[in-house]
Amino acid sequence: MKNVTPTTITDDPQIHEDLHVHAIYDQIAAHFSSTRYKPWPIIAQFLSTLPTGWIGLDSGTGNGKYLPLPAERPGSVLTIGLDRSRNLLQIAQHAGGEAQSNIITREVIWGDVLGNAWRPGAFDYAISIATIHHLASYERRKLAVQRLLQCVSSKHGRVLIYVWAIEQDELSKRKLPPSGQGQPSQNLARGCEPGQDVFVPWVLSQPNSTKHNTQNVEETAAPSVYEAKTGAAAPNSEVYNRYYHMFAKGELTQLTHDAARGLGLCIGSPDGFAEANLRGIDIVQDGWERSNYFVELRCWTT
Amino acid sequence: MVRLVTHNLLACHVKGCTTNNFPLAFQDVQIELQEAEFNPEFVKNLIPRLEWGALADAAKQVGDTSLPPEEPDMMDDDLLQKLHHVLLEIHVIEGAMVCPNCKHVYPISNGIPNMLLAEHEIG
Repeated sequence: MKNVTPTTITDDPQIHEDLHVHAIYDQIAAHFSSTRYKPWPIIAQFLSTLPTGWIGLDSGTGNGKYLPLPAERPGSVLTIGLDRSRNLLQIAQHAGGEAQSNIITREVIWGDVLGNAWRPGAFDYAISIATIHHLASYERRKLAVQRLLQCVSSKHGRVLIYVWAIEQDELSKRKLPPSGQGQPSQNLARGCEPGQDVFVPWVLSQPNSTKHNTQNVEETAAPSVYEAKTGAAAPNSEVYNRYYHMFAKGELTQLTHDAARGLGLCIGSPDGFAEANLRGIDIVQDGWERSNYFVELRCWTT
Repeated sequence: MVRLVTHNLLACHVKGCTTNNFPLAFQDVQIELQEAEFNPEFVKNLIPRLEWGALADAAKQVGDTSLPPEEPDMMDDDLLQKLHHVLLEIHVIEGAMVCPNCKHVYPISNGIPNMLLAEHEIG
């Protein structure tokens, strides 16, 4: 069993991410993508409820598996995929297209989730799935949420965020550091338990190995079970340790509150505010699904 | 990809570049036309989300003059078809987009625009 190992960030968070996130996804892009094909139910449901003609951002799109959705109304909304890994974007360009086809079907952008390369409020919705947990400080995770809040319409924008949870379900088969032995993150969201900074190994088979072709890949949570259930690395495979900040219970919602307050936004239902010309966010659902925490919110103005 | 619908959303985000940073100007572009399924309801609902003037101008820069320079009051089927073509069927494959204010160049290669900034340019 390959274990998730605790880590402490001692270098600059951005350098840490370059080494332990960005470089790795470019290396493992093709293999990673082959294990990421099934949309998670709450995300598919979210995309199914969007009105025709809406434009959205998938911040940290990876292989672009959410870009073709909603499956029952293809082409009714347009989701633009942003990612830091160019190799993943080359896969995402063809997401949902015919296999072997060179037809480019998706809009993708090479960029950073902390960037802000949009007209303010240009999008109607934004999703960020299994991405913000790769940022190596509390301030950077907060900024990533703020970028999502800034890029959607202040009047009706909708946002859905997923991050990896400390609390893993039994399907993920991932072996976590025993409680209390992990490294509590140095950068805490206020008012909740600390998350944990860890390395999660990805075992990449070399091309001469047939292992990953025969592996029965089971998609449960981000990250997939595949990399964790192999034993000691075979001689012809390489292990890449990806950095994750595992979120504690309540931490994502707290982070979202902090991000909104930092932008001067009210928190709660607009019905609770009598004053005119206010801007706010209403968290319409938050919870845990398949080893991840999620939060869904709507923007409003009075 | 950089279709014109995407171009209509992009703005320069170099540190301190906050005015006149939209729309980015195309430079040395190669385009490809690729047919897309026409969904009139999608295109019609998209209109209030667009900066019309920037779109008509971007279309002109890539050789399509079918759109009026200002958003028309009435939208007929013919115009929706033209809008569909401009927004969704013109693909910019190579070239660059340049900020009208700070002149920062965002390259486009193999259909992927590079919106990454150097560390000292990040706001």
